[in-house]
Amino acid sequence: MNLNKLFALKKAAPISRSILFSNNISTSAVSRDYKYVGVREEDLYSGFTNKAVNKILMGELMKGMMTTLGKFFTEPVTINYPFEKGPLSPRFRGEHALRRYPNGEERCIACKLCEAVCPAQAITIEAEERADGSRRTTRYDIDMTKCIYCGFCQEACPVDAIVEGPNFEYSTETHEELLYNKEKLLSNGDRWEPAIAANLKADNRYR
Amino acid sequence: MTSIVQNFRNLALSIKQNGGLYRSILQLYRVDEIKEGEYIGTDRNGNRYYQNKRFFVGRSRWVIYNEKYGLDYDGTHVDPEWHGWLHYVRDDPPTVKPPITYKWVTPNPQENKTGTPDNYVPYSTVKPKIEAWVPKSNKK
Repeated sequence: MNLNKLFALKKAAPISRSILFSNNISTSAVSRDYKYVGVREEDLYSGFTNKAVNKILMGELMKGMMTTLGKFFTEPVTINYPFEKGPLSPRFRGEHALRRYPNGEERCIACKLCEAVCPAQAITIEAEERADGSRRTTRYDIDMTKCIYCGFCQEACPVDAIVEGPNFEYSTETHEELLYNKEKLLSNGDRWEPAIAANLKADNRYR
Repeated sequence: MTSIVQNFRNLALSIKQNGGLYRSILQLYRVDEIKEGEYIGTDRNGNRYYQNKRFFVGRSRWVIYNEKYGLDYDGTHVDPEWHGWLHYVRDDPPTVKPPITYKWVTPNPQENKTGTPDNYVPYSTVKPKIEAWVPKSNKK
């Protein structure tokens, strides 16, 4: 009954202005309907004084400067390197190092697994029998500019000899300084052993 | 309001901890900020380490480099023993938990020597496999 009344009313009543200019969500029969998006003539001069005052006193610039001033007194969100440093993981893969056993004997036995697994082919190994009959490397070169720091070498190593240490501050001025040989890698290991051993110990449960 | 009072209190504390107004200004020039914090320890290079958990992780631990470095301080002056603590890898500083060390570990940590006469130059660790031919002279 009510519905019938409503339809009757709609048929009878002319299309009002409010219906014409309302946002219509239907997609059909709206070709006559339109929405004016330009500046209306009555809007053009309303608030003229306000706008002028805002412009003369540089209101928007002042708002921006107040934000700047406010940030001046808040705690900074950046860290002050090199005095403060960002958090690292014990698994961080940085500069390579060749480790030694606690008695000072070098760990690497020249099995060449790291050389084989290296996807960037950055590692070169040559091996010879040492005077005491043990198998050791004579050449262990890593081209640090080829290395992609994937960590496969340290995962492949059966004796934990080659590791990627926690150091990342070894940037150099020349390319050749990044072509590491065995002596350089061993000296890295000698320097970083406290940090490397602690990292391996911290991550021991998950390896 | 309490936070503003607290800020001034922290500033006064940090000036006091840095050894007066003059030294605080010097510290501001060298380090760019003065912070108050708990002294944790000194490493083999003479760098001093501090902590204050009021700041967020990344700013809560910091190092004041040894005065001997002047303005030539570098990230690599940090001792490898302290590296893990400063980088939040572990919470125990080496003063609490002594680091694993051996006889052959380098006693004095080295800085990054690039750009100096002592920088690393690569060399071959094996004998060359090909040697140049030196022809014998036929002249008498």
